[in-house]
Amino acid sequence: MKTLFTGALAALAFTAAPALAEYPEKEIQGIIQWGAGGSTDTVMRAVTPHAEEMLGGKVVMQNMTGGVGAIAVKFASAQDADGYTLLMGAENPLLYKVMGLGDIDYSSFVPVNVIARGVPILVANNDAPFDTLEEMVAYIQENPNEVKFGSTGPGGLPSVVTAMLQSEIELTVTAVPYDGDGPALTALQGGAIDVMPAVLGASIEAIKAGRIKPLALIDTQANEALPDVPPITEAYPAFETYLPWGPFFGVFVKEGTPDDVVAKLSEAYAAGVENADFQQLMDDRGFQVMNISGDEAQEFLDKWQSVTSWLVYDAGIAKASPEEFDIPRPE
Amino acid sequence: MHDPSKKMPGETAFAVVLVGLSGFLLWQAILISGFEALSSPGAFPMAAAFAMLVTSVAILIKTLRLRERMALRFFTDVAPPVILAMFAMMLGYALLLKPLGFLPTSLLFLTVSIFALRRRGLLWSFGVSLASLALVYVIFRLVFTVLMPSGVVPEGEILAWLGNLFSGGDTQ
Amino acid sequence: MTEALQFFLISWLDLKLLGLVALGTFAGIYVGAIPGLSVTMAVSILISFTFAWDVYPALCLMVGIYMGGVYGGSRTAILLNIPGAPSAIATALDGYPLAQKGQAGEAIGLSTVMSFVGGFIGIGVLAVAAPFVSEFALTFQPRDYMLLAILGILLVGSLSGESLLKGVFAGALGLLIGAVGLDPLTAEERFTFGMVELWGGISFIAVMIGLFGVSEALTQLHHIDKAAVKQTIGRIVPSWRAVGKYLPLSLQTSSIGVIIGALPGTGGDIAALMAYDHAKRVTKKPEVPFGEGAAEGLVAPETANNAAVGGAFIPMLTLGIPGDAVTAIIIGAMFIHGLNPGPMLMIEQPQMFWFITGALVLANIFMLIFGLTGIRLFTKIVEMPRAVLIPLILLLSIVGAYAVNNSITDVYWMLLFGAFGYLLKTYGYQVGPVILGVILSRLIDENWRRAIISEQEDLGRLFMGIFTSPLSLVLFGAVVFIFISQTPLWTGLRARFGTARARGDGV
Repeated sequence: MKTLFTGALAALAFTAAPALAEYPEKEIQGIIQWGAGGSTDTVMRAVTPHAEEMLGGKVVMQNMTGGVGAIAVKFASAQDADGYTLLMGAENPLLYKVMGLGDIDYSSFVPVNVIARGVPILVANNDAPFDTLEEMVAYIQENPNEVKFGSTGPGGLPSVVTAMLQSEIELTVTAVPYDGDGPALTALQGGAIDVMPAVLGASIEAIKAGRIKPLALIDTQANEALPDVPPITEAYPAFETYLPWGPFFGVFVKEGTPDDVVAKLSEAYAAGVENADFQQLMDDRGFQVMNISGDEAQEFLDKWQSVTSWLVYDAGIAKASPEEFDIPRPE
Repeated sequence: MHDPSKKMPGETAFAVVLVGLSGFLLWQAILISGFEALSSPGAFPMAAAFAMLVTSVAILIKTLRLRERMALRFFTDVAPPVILAMFAMMLGYALLLKPLGFLPTSLLFLTVSIFALRRRGLLWSFGVSLASLALVYVIFRLVFTVLMPSGVVPEGEILAWLGNLFSGGDTQ
Repeated sequence: MTEALQFFLISWLDLKLLGLVALGTFAGIYVGAIPGLSVTMAVSILISFTFAWDVYPALCLMVGIYMGGVYGGSRTAILLNIPGAPSAIATALDGYPLAQKGQAGEAIGLSTVMSFVGGFIGIGVLAVAAPFVSEFALTFQPRDYMLLAILGILLVGSLSGESLLKGVFAGALGLLIGAVGLDPLTAEERFTFGMVELWGGISFIAVMIGLFGVSEALTQLHHIDKAAVKQTIGRIVPSWRAVGKYLPLSLQTSSIGVIIGALPGTGGDIAALMAYDHAKRVTKKPEVPFGEGAAEGLVAPETANNAAVGGAFIPMLTLGIPGDAVTAIIIGAMFIHGLNPGPMLMIEQPQMFWFITGALVLANIFMLIFGLTGIRLFTKIVEMPRAVLIPLILLLSIVGAYAVNNSITDVYWMLLFGAFGYLLKTYGYQVGPVILGVILSRLIDENWRRAIISEQEDLGRLFMGIFTSPLSLVLFGAVVFIFISQTPLWTGLRARFGTARARGDGV
């Protein structure tokens, strides 16, 4: 306890050294949108210490969960636009409007850094009566509703991937909802579900150990981490219009934050993402590092929102039309 | 102190409130998704609220049947002034926490309540409060970095300043 | 084998690692004891704190905090009737009555030794049978989780106190409280009344602190002028005979702890409550009745929740699947330190498995040492004048409720449930079933829906599934058995019905 305390003091002392007038002159609050131990949490806790070195300030990270992340977004948008509250989130807020989860999304924020994106992959239980995507499609068409797909609720990655598949292929499956991809992948190994659209990073260890079998990457090219798994476009080139697509992680501040503060944060996080240890971590987990900020990041977010909103809307799982929020249909 | 064979003051009223609450919650549960499917989001809440309604009605009936009353009065034995006052203090604390900040509110709360309950020197109460608050602050704010509302006290700046003193002005 | 032993002893032979395990365990006891500070929280803070360290020292600290924290919850449960952590809820049921009789020292001593026994059994199973247990845990289907949770909710029968009817009401209320918020499966709003603050649901910890801590503090105000209970500190360490007497029970309850701990999605809190119920059922003649300070009521939850620690590491170390919230964070920490926890970890880096097992054993031993020293000081807390203690408890309750989610809304909920809990207790309802309902709510709701969706909304197919799977059949049988034997339907009904009517009893 005592060392913890002196450690905390030492950390404070260490970080508060630069002149006080300059940002950051006090601790910065980092609101993590998802729970401790999840992908977003791990990525943020791994990159932030590197960014702190550059920033010369302490970022105190807290998990604020609930409401598919909407509670954290709402909290962060209610704070002052002074750069002392960072929102550390994933892709979900971009779907809040069409999913009827409130009217605040990343358009009320400025991206500090879009750190990385994940590659979706279709994995199956080892006992499933198919080994490739084509065999799966054939099997499902012969046995409608018998194959159980894992899901994480409407708007989650599995639902979007399933919607994407269904937009080009006729697939009637039973979607069994789970709390997150972790529990769903556990259920996949136990045979409670047959197929799971997951993030490569979350499933890669189980695939390598041969506990689940990969069917196809939802991407346009094969991935270094699993070179033998074919991209979906090999069998179905029609999916190229939607891809590349995937979940992402980013750090945001409220709109209206002074430009020099945003610049300083962006610079710090860009340096943090560049760190070799962090790059290694992202590689190991199968994430594609993006490290973009400013207009580039904004463009990425806009495109992501437009593609995905219309996809879920056309699949009939959205509550409102993207048109209502002036989200243009992708060209 | 509860004796199931006798009626406590306010017991019938409480049972009625619980029936009302259960009925209201059942109605709200039905509103969630109606009776559309066994797997609908409202199915489980409906079942739970239904169980509440059935048991609360049965409890009310049994309470009404109790003949004997306990020789107690509501405002002296169930909710005496000291309990009501303490609860009001806590409510006040919760309301003041955001605008006034954690440190002043807690100090005020502790000093006043210890003084009122103990009736022994205001200064003594203040001292005890200050010491215990310091301990709570160190554990929650410094070690566990729980950011309590700072309110009127510029805590972040003070901590940074203190930190600066500790580092002895050495620059990175 | 010698290699395994070598890895096992890494933390024992390095003074720095040894010290870190000790420090972690010591800190963990206090983290566990303070309501609102959780092991989950402590471990996630440690991730950034130990960021630049090597992986061994970081894990030593985390393992220590975990072990100590699960145990520490029993301290405040016994002394103040405020469980410091959800896994200590069952401990309060018989521990607090003991403290009120002035036997807090003995109660803490017994629970410490029993936590040690349970922790040891949990680690033993981890070391010997981890691959087997994790494969078994994976075979649990949604319907099995559902049956397990129903088995859990039947505990209402043993937590109800004077009236089963009131117990069922309280349990159903708890189930409903657990359903508030955005439905985790469909994001549908449930009982939110359009308030975004309610989307995340009502914090379980806030409910627990309110129902136990605040309501108890309010009750204590009735006796504000009475002197505090003098604690007689006689024998702290229980005799060998006593330990031997409870050994058969602790073996059974530890097994419950290991299995429940190893199941992803269930943890020490459920394990402890189920163990308590089990003890109540198998102990035919307790020396002191349950609920009034039965030793068995301490032995069961304390062995089970510490056994669940070893259990939670089983799927984590063999498959990379977290057994509970804390192991989920430790997995995250291992990633950050460049390891890849998953099924390959055991094959590629077997030293990690044995290293963690070794550190766990060490933490368990330190827990025993730190747990048995300083009890005298701890029991002084209850001897403090109530006029000082009660305001302090209330302040800690507010801060604790706030700390869980940094939310003022949680503080309001905590206060509401404090007042409500006080009224419940006054009118002869127990708060235990409410908490039980909240803990089990999502488990029942989600798995019921998964199970029925998987069978395409067909109840017939669901029952076919239950009757064709041995595991489901066993669980189903247990549900039926306990329902009949524990509720008044069987033994109670005839006997109680007659006397109840005669005495006007049984509300």
